Amino acid sequence: MNATYGVVAVVLVSLATLTIGAFGLRISRTTSDFYVASRSVRPWLNSSAIGGEYLSAASFLGVAGLVLAFGANMLWFPIGWTAGYLLLLVFVAAPLRRSGAFTIPDFAEIRLQSNAVRRAATVLVVLVGWLYLLPQFQGAGLTIRTVTGAPTWVGTVLVATIVVINVVSGGMRSITFVQAFQYWLKLTALLVPAFFLIRAWIGDGAPGPGAPAEWTLPFHAPSGPDLYVVYSVMIATFLGTMGLPHVVVRFYTNPDGHAARRTTLIVLALLGVFYLLPTIYGALGRIYASDLIDAGRVDAVVLELPHRILGSSGDLLAALLTAGAFAAFLSTSSGLTMSVAGVIGQELARSGRLRRRMGSTALGERGGISSVTALRVAAAGCVLVPLALALTVQRLPVATSVTFAFALAASTFCPLLVLGIWWRGLTAPGAVAGLAAGGVGAGLAPLVRTAIDTTATWRMFVDYPAAWSVPLGFGVMIAVSLATRSRVPTRVSRTMVRLHTPEGAHLDRG
Amino acid sequence: MTEPSDPPPVEHRVRITSPRTGARPHVRRTAREEIDQSTAVGEVYIRSLMRAQLRSALGILLVLMATVGALPAAFAFIDGLAEFRVVGIPVAWLVLGVGVYPGLLLLGWLYVRRAERTERAFVRLIQPGSTTRGQAGSGQRETQADR
Repeated sequence: MNATYGVVAVVLVSLATLTIGAFGLRISRTTSDFYVASRSVRPWLNSSAIGGEYLSAASFLGVAGLVLAFGANMLWFPIGWTAGYLLLLVFVAAPLRRSGAFTIPDFAEIRLQSNAVRRAATVLVVLVGWLYLLPQFQGAGLTIRTVTGAPTWVGTVLVATIVVINVVSGGMRSITFVQAFQYWLKLTALLVPAFFLIRAWIGDGAPGPGAPAEWTLPFHAPSGPDLYVVYSVMIATFLGTMGLPHVVVRFYTNPDGHAARRTTLIVLALLGVFYLLPTIYGALGRIYASDLIDAGRVDAVVLELPHRILGSSGDLLAALLTAGAFAAFLSTSSGLTMSVAGVIGQELARSGRLRRRMGSTALGERGGISSVTALRVAAAGCVLVPLALALTVQRLPVATSVTFAFALAASTFCPLLVLGIWWRGLTAPGAVAGLAAGGVGAGLAPLVRTAIDTTATWRMFVDYPAAWSVPLGFGVMIAVSLATRSRVPTRVSRTMVRLHTPEGAHLDRG
Repeated sequence: MTEPSDPPPVEHRVRITSPRTGARPHVRRTAREEIDQSTAVGEVYIRSLMRAQLRSALGILLVLMATVGALPAAFAFIDGLAEFRVVGIPVAWLVLGVGVYPGLLLLGWLYVRRAERTERAFVRLIQPGSTTRGQAGSGQRETQADR
């Protein structure tokens, strides 16, 4: 592959991202601008931004890689990532917007009036964010190595740096513009080369993949473990989407509940269009680049295909794909960092205010820090941990490793949101117990999996925990809430009015 | 001739009244006031709104489980289904790679239509005669069509 084109593509995307980010800086002034773009983002802009933020390295590179390696059964990943928005739409979108909260910890506090739940949710937001950032940073390293031959740490550090500059300088408003731009860039970057690649493939006489039946056909030899894995992935992705911090924070930027619903509907369309494409790359990859499987570099198939099929005339297309991939790392990482930093920043600002009120000013006479400063400090801080991990931890296929983040979100935030919105009986002790149970269940999986014999049959329960950890989270949350019925928040009726009544009804929302 | 003082043998109506001065006077509240004052009636309004919305959501979930959720089992257990080919492409790839997405969008569209209709009905119920202010144009057009 021609390294010059690739480098130019990366530089252009990085510059465009920083420029659009700076454009946002001039108009972000208040804390509300910083956190939620003053809640005035129109549905089309907001949906493009959600699409841009959501379509990560796992979608842009990972799906094609998995399809190349494992075939038809991997098509469940993009289906799950899209269906997750459908469930978000029907169970969460409008009430979440109407709750008026900035973040999931905010929602927990509004609904349950409990600091303990708030803190538990904060810890989980950070953990989910780190789990999701790690594969993005690693994917960036892989991309830069594939394109330029530079060592993997270069791409990893580059993405982390741009993300921090972007978030620190502009906050959510600039991120919204950046994300919207990046959805359309990513779609174009996959669509245009796909057209040329398919034409060349037809010119070749449209050869078949020559792959074994277990690649072509889902469940060629039906087995219990295969079905368990597919259903577990389904549960994790269907229910995890609503709990991802960078997805949830986007709903606060809608003007009202109706806009939140319309935004989600447009997102469903944007994702559906996008996810038609990775399958094409995966299938063509099986025909032209099946050696990547043995080389253990299946995630590179999208980037390598133009050269494999078109030779050096594919270099420009490869550069476009590189730009798209880089956009994927930048947008998802920015969104995640923004949302995680938003949560930590609020905690910092709160503890600052608290200390000032108590009179003991640990930070000198000025006491505490403003929430915008807190956000900036938190953004820089919360990138460091996944950056360090990305440089040290062994790499997994990117689509597999984001599934851990989905499973964790599905086991913790999904029960919290769904029960919090639809069930008056939820109590603070119940919520904390459920978050802990689901969190330990799904959170331990990525930690212990390296220590387990890979051939063990029960390994799949560790690799794909969602099928048991999600029911566990729901079950514990419901059971403990029922056991602590006296702790149902006193204001729950007023909160339900706020969550469920349309803005057109002039009611006291508490 | 009958004596005027004679009581009529039947059909003497006795009005029985009670000086229930301690009873609360009947107050007519609007639905809005019921909700704002968290009365039992107000609770019923909110609970019925929530139940209607939850029913729409669970309906979508059920359809999703019965269609997309049943696909893995269908491919695994129905012999020949996965091998079935349309213009040379296994039907599994067409369904999983293409067909599912318009289906998801359709479900989402159906839900939004139903949920917004429920909300407009709720606004009309608690604010009779009010226009559905604060909603976007498409919503208002549909409101008129509903009438």
